[in-house]
Amino acid sequence: MITHQDSMHILLADDDEDDRTFFNEALQELKMNNKLTLFKDGKELMDYLEQPDIKLPHVLFLDLNMPGKTGIDCLKEIRANVRFKEVSIAIYSTSSSEKDIEDTFIEGANIYIKKPNDFSKLKEIIKEVVNMNWQFHTSGLNIETFFFSI
Amino acid sequence: MKILRLFKNSQVFKIALAVAILVVCYLATEFYSQMKKLDSTVELIANSNETQLELEKLLSVISIYETSLRSYIITKDETYIENRFLSRGKIEEAIKKLKTLTTNNSIRNKDIDSLKNLIDYRFKLFRQTLIIAKSKSKSENLNRLELNAKLLESSEVTDKMKSFVNKIIFSESIKAKSQNNNHQFELQDSIITAFLLVILSLLILLLSFQKMNVDIDELQKANDKLKLLNESYNSAEKTAGFGHWMVNTETNQYTFSDNLYRLMGVEPNVFEPNIENTIKYIHPDDLDYVTKVHLDSLLNHQPTSMIFRFLTPNGDVKYIMGVGSFTTNSNGDLIKIGVNYDITNQYQKTLELENNNKELKYINTELEAFNNIVSHDLQEPLRKIQMFISRLEEKELDLLSGQGKEYFLKIRASANKMQTLLIDLVDYSRTIKGDKVFVETDLNKILEETLQDLSTNIEEKKAEIQVGNLPTIKAIPFQIKQLFINLISNSLKYSKEDSIPEIKITSGKITEKEQRDYKIANKEDYYKIVITDNGIGFKQEYSEKIFLLFKRLNTDPKYSGTGLGLAICHRVVDNHKGFIKVIGKPDIGAKFYIFIPKGDLL
Repeated sequence: MITHQDSMHILLADDDEDDRTFFNEALQELKMNNKLTLFKDGKELMDYLEQPDIKLPHVLFLDLNMPGKTGIDCLKEIRANVRFKEVSIAIYSTSSSEKDIEDTFIEGANIYIKKPNDFSKLKEIIKEVVNMNWQFHTSGLNIETFFFSI
Repeated sequence: MKILRLFKNSQVFKIALAVAILVVCYLATEFYSQMKKLDSTVELIANSNETQLELEKLLSVISIYETSLRSYIITKDETYIENRFLSRGKIEEAIKKLKTLTTNNSIRNKDIDSLKNLIDYRFKLFRQTLIIAKSKSKSENLNRLELNAKLLESSEVTDKMKSFVNKIIFSESIKAKSQNNNHQFELQDSIITAFLLVILSLLILLLSFQKMNVDIDELQKANDKLKLLNESYNSAEKTAGFGHWMVNTETNQYTFSDNLYRLMGVEPNVFEPNIENTIKYIHPDDLDYVTKVHLDSLLNHQPTSMIFRFLTPNGDVKYIMGVGSFTTNSNGDLIKIGVNYDITNQYQKTLELENNNKELKYINTELEAFNNIVSHDLQEPLRKIQMFISRLEEKELDLLSGQGKEYFLKIRASANKMQTLLIDLVDYSRTIKGDKVFVETDLNKILEETLQDLSTNIEEKKAEIQVGNLPTIKAIPFQIKQLFINLISNSLKYSKEDSIPEIKITSGKITEKEQRDYKIANKEDYYKIVITDNGIGFKQEYSEKIFLLFKRLNTDPKYSGTGLGLAICHRVVDNHKGFIKVIGKPDIGAKFYIFIPKGDLL
């Protein structure tokens, strides 16, 4: 795992293989020179994060509906640990139900992304989110700005 | 009539009767005293008559004596004077009797005394005469002279005595006569009094009889009325399915109405009404509870209310609502009156309703689950399909043949259509689900947001949107937004190709015609919002149909639609207790009218 000084470290936890592939391809096509680590469920993600010697990621894309440890479980665990307070969390889910949006907002996620149905849109989203000024975004965060739309 | 009314008033009657009886009593005592007086008058007359008789007797005795003496003097026959002492005894007797007869009259008494003196003196003269007549010593001439003188004196005294007696007899006879007159008057008075007494008594009798007649008549009428009432009550009980019962808490005597027996499934009066006979008809599971509640109430006199079951002889179970309360009868006895009401039908209906409700709830959860499948699980693979389509389009489209490209585009269109359908379905189900929170909603703000959301679409169609001033209403904001989105996208979708779409959103007052046509009680009760377009319109005959689920008027493929949009609109307005109407004209456009009630009607 080579980490570039300027490149950002991005994590994606999603049980859907196709979605992981789409995400990876989109990031590659963007040529943003970022490092992406993929996890196929919540447990794998948490196991990784709990290692003490890792370099913390900049952004974590977190699917909600995963077998075993769900996205919400992971979110709660991460936000309960001060070690990860600098990690920005982007919820990445098919659901756009108000309940999910509200719950994740309350639990401290930074942005909510509904999975798009168009590859070009996916690229746009990743580009926007990765380049986002998190400090600026988080300071004025409310339930309306929390739900990401292009 | 007034008299009759007075007559009916028993108070007045009682007073009249009392007065009449008092008068009768007075008359009776009066009559009694008159009779008494009459009696004493008769006595007085009798007394007077007897006095006269005795006096006459006296005189006659004296006369007899004189005659005897004279006869002796003439004949010197001793037999004439033999009885003189006897006569003297008769006189004594008569005097004594007269004394007693005149004890009440002092003057007469004295008269009798003086009469006695006279008689004594007369007898002295008798004796002297007799002595002279008997003496033979003296010369005959001297003797004759002496005898004549004595006889003369005797005759004078006798006359004096006679006149005295006659005087007394006369005065007695006058007295008797006047007494007799009095007696006549008194007798007349008594007859009048007696007559009055009889008349009055008859009157009272008549009055009482009449009153009794009237009372009996009234009683009969009241009885008839009661009988009728009872009959109608009985039939009412039968029709309404209730029965009543009573128990006198003092005598523990029960009374059951006919229909109470019928409620228990038996003919009226087949058994003696009491607890022991009734418990056979109470469902065994309810028996303890029913008897406890009833017996407790007989002790604490609190009203009761319970639901229990009757088990009829042929095995039917009847649900009974029983209520009981306490009252006192005219004897002052505490009575418990109970009404038992057959609620079997209601109970079964409630049970049915509960079951239906349960089923409905179950269906609702099923629907929600189905809704989740539609909104999430179906969208997931569709999204993937669309993702792959976009990947293909970007990288591989050029590799396809002309036919292949055509197929590909059709696949893409179908996938997109399915997506809109799924989104509409989710929207529709959201209008059905609960948690409808009404808040003050500024429709201008909602419309602004709507136009923002539809901006791409509006720009694409180059549509002109005119917005009037809209009211602030109590509403479910997201649903109203959905309503605006659907109506405006509808107008955009069915716009004419050759002209610029014009859409107007305004609010207005309800017209007289609308009030009549839509049966609005008060024009001020509703808000009216109108959305007008210049699109392709439709025939007015479809104006109701277009709000139905999955009903589409236009099958032209260039007008894509799911048939859900206007159904959602209808649903939303329905949720706000309002109604939506549309007026369509082919090639001219459509006008949607939304009526939403103000505050209180929600």
